[in-house]
Amino acid sequence: MSRYLSPRDIDWPLLLIVLLICAVGVLQIYSATRGTESHNAWWKQILYVAGGLVLMWLILPLDYHAMLHHIPAMYILSLVALLGTYVVGESVFGSRRWIPLYGGFHFQVSEFVKLVIILLVARYLTDLRTEELDVREMLKLAGLVLVPAVLVLKQPDLGTALTYIAVLVVGAFLAGLHWKYVAAIALAGVLVLPVGWHFLKDYQKTRLVNFLNPEQDPQGAGYQLIQSQTAIGSGGMFGKGVTKGTQAQLHFLPVPYKDFIFSAFAEEHGFLGVGLMLALYFVMIMRIVQNAQTAPERSGMYICMGVAALLLAHILINIGMVAGLMPVTGIPLPFMSAGGSSIWTSFLALGLVNNVRLRRFVN
Amino acid sequence: MVERRLTWLAGIVLLWGAAIFLQLVSLQVFHHQHYLNLAKARQEVVIGIPAPRGSILDRSGAPLAMSVPTESVYVNPLKVPDLDVASDMLARVLHMDRVELYGKMKLARDNHRGFFPVKRKIALEEGQLLRDLRLDWVDIETETQRRYPKGTLAAHVLGGVDFEEKGNAGIEKFMDADLRGQAGQARLLTDVKRRGIDQQSATEARAGTCITLTIDERLQFVAERELAAAVAAHHAVSGSVVVMNPSNGEILALASYPTYDPNQPPEPAANLAARQNHAIGVPFEPGSVFKVITLSAALETTALRPESLINCHGGVLKLPGRVIHDSHLGTGILPMAMVLAKSSNIGAIQVGMQVGKDNMDRYVRKFGFAQKTGVQLPGESRGRLRATNYWGTTSLASISMGQEVSVTTVQLAQAASVIANGGMLVRPRLVLKKGDDALPQEPPVRVIGAETAITMRQMMEGVVLHGTGTAARLVGYTVGGKTGSAQIFDYASRHYTHTYNGSFVGFSPLVNPAIVVVVTLNGTHGTAGFGGAAAAPVFRVIAAEALRILDVPRDLPDEPMPKTLSAKNLNDLAIADIGSDQPNILEDSEDEGQPAAPAVSGPTIPNFRGMTIRAVLAEAAAKGLTVLPDGSGVASRQDPPAGSAMHQGERIRVKFSR
Repeated sequence: MSRYLSPRDIDWPLLLIVLLICAVGVLQIYSATRGTESHNAWWKQILYVAGGLVLMWLILPLDYHAMLHHIPAMYILSLVALLGTYVVGESVFGSRRWIPLYGGFHFQVSEFVKLVIILLVARYLTDLRTEELDVREMLKLAGLVLVPAVLVLKQPDLGTALTYIAVLVVGAFLAGLHWKYVAAIALAGVLVLPVGWHFLKDYQKTRLVNFLNPEQDPQGAGYQLIQSQTAIGSGGMFGKGVTKGTQAQLHFLPVPYKDFIFSAFAEEHGFLGVGLMLALYFVMIMRIVQNAQTAPERSGMYICMGVAALLLAHILINIGMVAGLMPVTGIPLPFMSAGGSSIWTSFLALGLVNNVRLRRFVN
Repeated sequence: MVERRLTWLAGIVLLWGAAIFLQLVSLQVFHHQHYLNLAKARQEVVIGIPAPRGSILDRSGAPLAMSVPTESVYVNPLKVPDLDVASDMLARVLHMDRVELYGKMKLARDNHRGFFPVKRKIALEEGQLLRDLRLDWVDIETETQRRYPKGTLAAHVLGGVDFEEKGNAGIEKFMDADLRGQAGQARLLTDVKRRGIDQQSATEARAGTCITLTIDERLQFVAERELAAAVAAHHAVSGSVVVMNPSNGEILALASYPTYDPNQPPEPAANLAARQNHAIGVPFEPGSVFKVITLSAALETTALRPESLINCHGGVLKLPGRVIHDSHLGTGILPMAMVLAKSSNIGAIQVGMQVGKDNMDRYVRKFGFAQKTGVQLPGESRGRLRATNYWGTTSLASISMGQEVSVTTVQLAQAASVIANGGMLVRPRLVLKKGDDALPQEPPVRVIGAETAITMRQMMEGVVLHGTGTAARLVGYTVGGKTGSAQIFDYASRHYTHTYNGSFVGFSPLVNPAIVVVVTLNGTHGTAGFGGAAAAPVFRVIAAEALRILDVPRDLPDEPMPKTLSAKNLNDLAIADIGSDQPNILEDSEDEGQPAAPAVSGPTIPNFRGMTIRAVLAEAAAKGLTVLPDGSGVASRQDPPAGSAMHQGERIRVKFSR
């Protein structure tokens, strides 16, 4: 099969856009970490991006059909790894997400599980081979996704868990879940909110409260949100200039090179820069959706749409969070936030899309 | 199916995307300013940079007041790890009471105050010690402190400053706006831990303007010393002296007694009386010195001349409800010049009657009385002169001799300057320069004709030559002046008491006077406290010093110095003045290095001129001489004359007059 594969068929525009976003991210990381103890994060990020490209390249020859074939094993492996974080995981910021690797690197299991979820949803929905998703099948799939989601939620990492749900919901929706069930799920979601409240951690509750009323405790939990909004707002139309963003440079903005990188970017580059960034992300998503449409069969389409859903969930939740439309949940901005696991997962997801694209003329 | 679902999905996503987009627009475009201000408010700290207060200099540039940096200690009681240890340490280093300090810090901490001033204006070594301890909860801040290096010198002119270096009296208060300068501001960019990162912008602190006074510190010193001595000698309550340049109004010295040290903070109610500037702030009835005004008005408005005869009614004048006595004078008719010289009250009243109510009022006001002189000091009194329609039947008579009117010493100096400078009212002023700019002077206003002024000067010379003011005579200079001895009116009992305001108003030299000196002693007792006896000698010393400092050429041949020069030498001097080509005796003797010290064998008769009876008797007793006093007042004539060789058993007749 590999004889049909050609580098020419890789989605170069998509890759170009992603690399552009990565470049902006590196620049922003450089700007935001100047003079801090993590001042070398920018070249680490370059290494991560390079590593991501390699990873993407490596999974291209592996047929996605083969991946789908091995999904049950991968799924079980994922569950084991997630449970492993509870045993050997390192607690950072009160959350056990990382498995330490030798060499000082940390491996964030929940990031790579995202890919497994995408493949799982694709495989499950493809195997059904029906026009309309049956509600019992739907619940079964939901159960499969919810197990790792709950494990991640308990780490606790609400943001990542939400991205799993996003992949599931988009998949189910595309698989033809009946409208009445869509409506029912939406209703259930609304109804579950007050009940779910009791299952939230205290810090999650305060985050939610502070999201609704950040001025209530400006020095405490609402602090991040206020600082983020201040950073974005004070950037104005044209921004303060690279390395001139005072909110980020003076450390008012928390972790301006990771979850809040968008605020730091908005502060230094203003609304024009933000508009450009959003446009890049939009084009990126649209390219992926287009790949979904040109996929050779259903499984390919589901994979591409899963990736699109995953990245979109990341983008919307992250930007919604820093702009003050959503509660603060620790979730990185794809291709921009510093961090190896996030970058590699995103590039692997990109690899999946290209994997599908390379094989579009096969069948 | 899938296509439709994709569209739906895209719709939902776009909706959510649009919401985020709108939020970003709202944040970055519509509420940009709000967030920018928010960011600034968080990141910027405005720090005041204190401006050093301007110095005050005397006319030659010697500093009278200056601001020097000092240090003050503050602590943050909330950060103090152990109040007990802290108060122990601070008390030891700063020499304070441990228990008291502990109590105060405890109170501050209990009130959650993060700022507590421990001690302000600490000594240099205290600050050094404290710094060496390296306590992070101690804050040592540099401030400035006002220093008056000359202590009490010119205290009333300078005034003083309060805790915040704000002027609270004197020039410090009057010129506060100029002296204070403008505090600068630095806007510091601080990070989240409130560490200053960068100076964003700063408005420079503008140092206060330096004020140069017209005061001459040497003369000021002499004036204060003589005033203090005279107040003590005559048991007066207070006194004041003003030395003024009559041609441009510059006040060379302005002294008030009692005085104070402006370096010391004003203690509550303790020495506030000492802070009163008597020269400008406390009006008094001038008494006889005011006759100068009466006579000036007379020369201007009536046909009276110095030689015009005035009927003094034999020393007693009955006015409605009042009888005026000229106790010390003879009787009869005196020329007007003698009325002034002898300070005849009745004579002055006669003159005043001829001047008339309206002219009197007009001239008193023209001479600058009953209005502020505008000298650059706060708290100036305008004095008091009632409007003519409130005058009583005897008011004109009273005012003619300086009663029913109250004036300040500086007003008297201003009025005397009118006569001294040829008839122009020149406003007295204390500030010579503001920074480098000379202050503009108010244009002088003509008050009396030049002729009148010259005539007045001549009459006032008479006062010093053969009137009540002989004690004011100077060596080598002509002097004009007027004595005044006003009984102090007791408002409680509504009677004049036997305490006096002894004053002397004078100028020198007679032609084109260089200085006007006014001396006032308030609350002297008895005849020794009269202006002629108490104030005139003060004038003499101050005026002599002023003329020396100003380097005014002498206009009189050196009078024989009492006890050293003989009458013979005086004659030699006269001959030498004629200007023969032959070298005269004096020059020869100077060449020999023996200036003006001719040998006189045996004791000579001392010069009693200008001394009081008491002083004459004291000196005579000391020298073993017999004196036959005649009259009262100060010695005006003596027989045999001063300097002549004294014969055994000779008795000296000394004529005293007032």
